Amino acid sequence: MEEIKNVEQTNEYSIIFSNVQKAYGKTVVIEDLNLEIKQGERLILLGPSGCGKTTTLRMIAGFEEITAGDLFMDGRQVNNVPPGERNIAMVFQSYALFPHMTVWENITFGLKLQKLPEEEITRRAKEAMEILHLEGYENKKTHELSGGQKQRVALCRALVKQSPYFLLDEPLSNLDAKLRQKARTELVKLHEMFKPTMVYVTHDQIEAMTVAHRIAVMNQGRIQQIDTPYNIYHHPANTFVAGFIGSPAMNILEAQVLNNCLVVGDSVLKPSSALLEQIGSRKKVLFGLRPEACAPAFGDAMIKGRVDFVENTGNLQTATLRLPDGASMYVQDSHQDTSFAACAGVDFAWDKVCLFDEETGANLEQGGKQ
Amino acid sequence: MKTKLASWQEEWGYHLLLLVAVFLMLWPIVFMLSTSLKDLNQVFESTLNPLPFPPTFDNYTNVLENFPLLTYIWNTFFIAIVVTMSKALTSVLAAFGFVYYDFKYKETIFNGMLLTFFIPITVLIMPNYLLMAKLGLLDTPYGVMLPSLVDGMGVFLMRQTMRGIPKPLLEAAILDGATPWQILRKVVLPLIKPSVLAISILFFINSWNEYFWPLLILQDKHNLTLPLALQMFISAEGGSEWGVAMAVATLTSLPPLVLYGFCQKFIINTFMQAGVKG
Repeated sequence: MEEIKNVEQTNEYSIIFSNVQKAYGKTVVIEDLNLEIKQGERLILLGPSGCGKTTTLRMIAGFEEITAGDLFMDGRQVNNVPPGERNIAMVFQSYALFPHMTVWENITFGLKLQKLPEEEITRRAKEAMEILHLEGYENKKTHELSGGQKQRVALCRALVKQSPYFLLDEPLSNLDAKLRQKARTELVKLHEMFKPTMVYVTHDQIEAMTVAHRIAVMNQGRIQQIDTPYNIYHHPANTFVAGFIGSPAMNILEAQVLNNCLVVGDSVLKPSSALLEQIGSRKKVLFGLRPEACAPAFGDAMIKGRVDFVENTGNLQTATLRLPDGASMYVQDSHQDTSFAACAGVDFAWDKVCLFDEETGANLEQGGKQ
Repeated sequence: MKTKLASWQEEWGYHLLLLVAVFLMLWPIVFMLSTSLKDLNQVFESTLNPLPFPPTFDNYTNVLENFPLLTYIWNTFFIAIVVTMSKALTSVLAAFGFVYYDFKYKETIFNGMLLTFFIPITVLIMPNYLLMAKLGLLDTPYGVMLPSLVDGMGVFLMRQTMRGIPKPLLEAAILDGATPWQILRKVVLPLIKPSVLAISILFFINSWNEYFWPLLILQDKHNLTLPLALQMFISAEGGSEWGVAMAVATLTSLPPLVLYGFCQKFIINTFMQAGVKG
């Protein structure tokens, strides 16, 4: 991986999107994308279906032409560089293993095309197969493999290329939940070993939170927030991110501002001075609180309401709380012995509260502007 | 009960229809085979009896001894193999272009090519004949081959088959730095091999059985293909040597029959993939 070191010395960012636009005819799917991906980081593109995350990844790979703007890789503009010359390794959602080849042939296909010496090909393939526990599968055809094995072969094929860029398009979506968790861990370990610049597309937020150094949350062709998983979760840039990350999503309730107090439902709350500063002269804000930041209250609750429904998932109880004004919010409690029957509402700590601008939906921490 | 009766009758009705159809299709083959095993007396005495008694191989011995069968087989084979290879190659290359490249007027060109299916052969005969005459290819195997080196149906079938290959497979090869030629040779061709084999066999059988166009082009007795030789043989012998004629016909139809028998599965699959009922 000498190539990576060279890049590291010269440039902190290895992939830069600068005002990139992608349109199919008159339909614009990516609008003015600005994104800087650091050398050796794991960046996750996360968002709902059709948000443009796969298109963004395919633009890096060179499969989608860029309508306007510039894409730089390693300091070089690559808008018109064909995919084969970008030195990229990619794992496809469907794995894209060649069905007429054996595992060994699949893994060494690219290396043979590069006309590497036979010993080098064998060394790299064996090394990668050992890392991914694929020894003994060399002569198997891909249809003889299980989903997890196919996924490992696809990873192995990408790994042997020793490319500085590693692109993954929902690589775990075809695995069952248990395998997915294991594969996630393996993927992170693998990245730690070789440290390529990794761009990973997923719509699974757990995958994003566990794998990423940084997450770019996308919606309707725009990046909503790029930040660490912690900040994305605890300091969402806007109501879209707040609602997209977390299961159940963050409770977002309308709140009136009256005499330096917030009125949520019919509960009057006295916010901290830091939050009051954020509110400024606004008459209305959106009040955000994660379900797990709500503690069920049985006497005088901060936010009053009654419990409609309780779901028990073994380790957690999730209750739906109905407020007097008809709004509802989720409350999550990890104590199995909590009885929600007598619950009169919720208590919370003010440092867990996010306030959003009522019109733009932007977090007031950042000034409330999109 | 009524519905059960109806379905019973329906079932028998269908089977009867199928039996008639099978009989109509198989009868000429059975007739050919049985006549080839009869001597001249039997041919005229029990014409419609499919069982020759006693069977005789005299007709075959006669054909193999007195008839330059090997020359005709070689002539036919040479034309069929060149036509088949050329059609298969051009079909695969053209289909690859249509499926994996984006170019201006792609659909228009493809549809234009499809339209060639609907041009009746009678319209093509005159210009093709004149062209062959101008090129000095009359009475040569090349004159027979030239107008059939490319086949629109082949391009269509190959395109349908190639469209079934998942795009990420091609993209994976592209990322590995494969050239279009390498993609075709190392990824696409191995995946569509059964279909290429199937259309090649169809091309071969068609060319082997081709009668009308070679009849126009070929004149010299030594250049004739098997179907023409068969015709000449029947006419030259005054039409009386039916046993011998049928022996030649049997020998002529053997190679395509055997080929089809071996590759029937591939052929059916190819047409199923293309959504065409054969």
